[in-house]
Amino acid sequence: MSYAISQIMPSFQRPPSRVAIRRAQAYSADLASLIQETVCELGLEVRHKSVLLKPNFVEPDPAGIVNTNPAVVGAAREAFLRLGASGVLVGEGPGHERDTEGIVETIRLRDHIGKLAGKFVDLNLDDVELVPLRTRASKLRELYFPRTVVTADVVVSMPKLKTHHWVGATLSLKNMFGIVPGSCYGWPKNTLHWAGISQSVLDINSTVRPDFAIVDGIVGMEGNGPVQGEAKHCGVLVMGSDPVAVDATCVRIMGLAPERIDYLAKAAAVLGHIDERQVPQIAENINSVRTPFQVLPSFEKLRASQPGI
Amino acid sequence: MLESLALNAGRPESSSAETLKDLCQRLLELNQNDDGGWPYQTGLQSAVEPTSWAVIVLKNYPEHSEAAGRGVAALKSAQLADGSWPARAGHRAGCWPTSLATLAIFLHEGSSEPVRGGLAWLCDAWPAEGSVWWRVRNWLRPTSSVTRQDSSLRGWSWTPGAASWVEPTAYCLLLLNAIPGNLHPSQAARRKRLGEAMLYDRMCPGGGWNSGNPQVYGIAGERRVGPTAWALLALREYASRPENRQSLDWLEGAWPHISGPLSLSLAHLCLESYGRPQTGFEARLAAFYETNDFLENILAAAISLIALREEEERPFACHRHRTAV
Repeated sequence: MSYAISQIMPSFQRPPSRVAIRRAQAYSADLASLIQETVCELGLEVRHKSVLLKPNFVEPDPAGIVNTNPAVVGAAREAFLRLGASGVLVGEGPGHERDTEGIVETIRLRDHIGKLAGKFVDLNLDDVELVPLRTRASKLRELYFPRTVVTADVVVSMPKLKTHHWVGATLSLKNMFGIVPGSCYGWPKNTLHWAGISQSVLDINSTVRPDFAIVDGIVGMEGNGPVQGEAKHCGVLVMGSDPVAVDATCVRIMGLAPERIDYLAKAAAVLGHIDERQVPQIAENINSVRTPFQVLPSFEKLRASQPGI
Repeated sequence: MLESLALNAGRPESSSAETLKDLCQRLLELNQNDDGGWPYQTGLQSAVEPTSWAVIVLKNYPEHSEAAGRGVAALKSAQLADGSWPARAGHRAGCWPTSLATLAIFLHEGSSEPVRGGLAWLCDAWPAEGSVWWRVRNWLRPTSSVTRQDSSLRGWSWTPGAASWVEPTAYCLLLLNAIPGNLHPSQAARRKRLGEAMLYDRMCPGGGWNSGNPQVYGIAGERRVGPTAWALLALREYASRPENRQSLDWLEGAWPHISGPLSLSLAHLCLESYGRPQTGFEARLAAFYETNDFLENILAAAISLIALREEEERPFACHRHRTAV
């Protein structure tokens, strides 16, 4: 279960975090086998466990550039079932749009996971539990979280590779904003903004840290993300058990420096690695897939000054 | 879940509407919890918002008066000492469903202590922007180059200590519009005026609303059906304003592309209340039901049931405009 105190530890005590960068040029590829292979290789045990997939479904998006592509979600579901998971749910709590059914229908989620009943959970509306936060980066001391999240054995964060107009990049850590229930905090979950986005990202992930991350970087978003940017083909899935290391790797692929992204720098202290020497890659290496993303002028300062940083 | 609708393409819309009404009613009947409240979805615990909407929609069904009464009692028992309602009974802090719970109780029993308490709390609940702390912070780190909005126009927030947003502001305005002015607290007129101005200020360029960011980094925000419908319902008394017309035009354009029952029902309610009904509502709603059973969403069922009723029977319609705009 993702709710374990041992996940908070100083980086120097944490063993290196392997991250897999897998090439996938299109959503029509055999993504389920790719994910299954990678999960095995990285040693995530899911047999007889309940798995919650948390994609990034933001808004109705017929063009398919805002949300985690449902083909990746369907493939992950298939992979975890093949690996013996007792059940695989897909759960999301969109931050700006109350009509969650409208979103999942626009992106045709059921074409990839079948009938939604019993498989999809609207995390905005789920029963909630008040959970004390494990870090105190923000002024928040506790948050309500959906019961489905709190009781899942394995939580998998599945963001899309995107720039973000407030924090630079949105990946598996920022994606966990979506577990905070709108029924308690509204649409958007403005309490988190007022508490500080970076600080809230840290507090949420220190409390409900994803056990695994699968980043949809086949087609990402550059520029004015997370909603109004442009599609950017990158052709990768990035996966790993350390969401901080996965995000740092993605940021490097985008041509940015993870140390310059505030919430990643904070997360590096207690939640995972961003130091490249502590993030050995399997499959592709960063240089072979690096695809510099356009960012808003105010985020040019996030660019890595030289390859590898 | 309930039985399939078994609608066929040739069936008249009036028949579809009756079947859908029956199904939505039964969905509400079957999902009332033992505590008298309703959950957001089948099998979950009661929450204030779906309970409020269920109570509102059952108002005009005498056969459900007992269920509605238990719902009202559940709402009253969830009210906090300061007059507000939390998202769910037992939560410590009051927040945005206060307007809906107050409206629900008012529609059932008129002015009463819980209603006065809810109204007073709402009129005292200011959003965070515009406070002294906010002004200092904004002076130190101005965001005016990022967003375009007049933060002196304050509506209502989702939660205490956060900023104004479109939907909670619209809910509060609907409440104030539904309750006669002589029952309003002293601050209500000012709050209503500011809230209405805030909604117009947050309208996206060209009409329509999203949750409350009309423009970020110089780029117009994406408009959304739900916030647009709520804002227009709340601003119905200004039907002839160009902003309303522009927004209605946008909503009409969005109508064919709506992909969920909640948005569809809200858009139908809104457009019909402005005398601009669209065709195909019942058939599309039935198709949504057949596809996903509304994801067993009680809120979607309640709002749909309101939208399926004749306009005169809708319990929360406060100012109807008969003239098409």
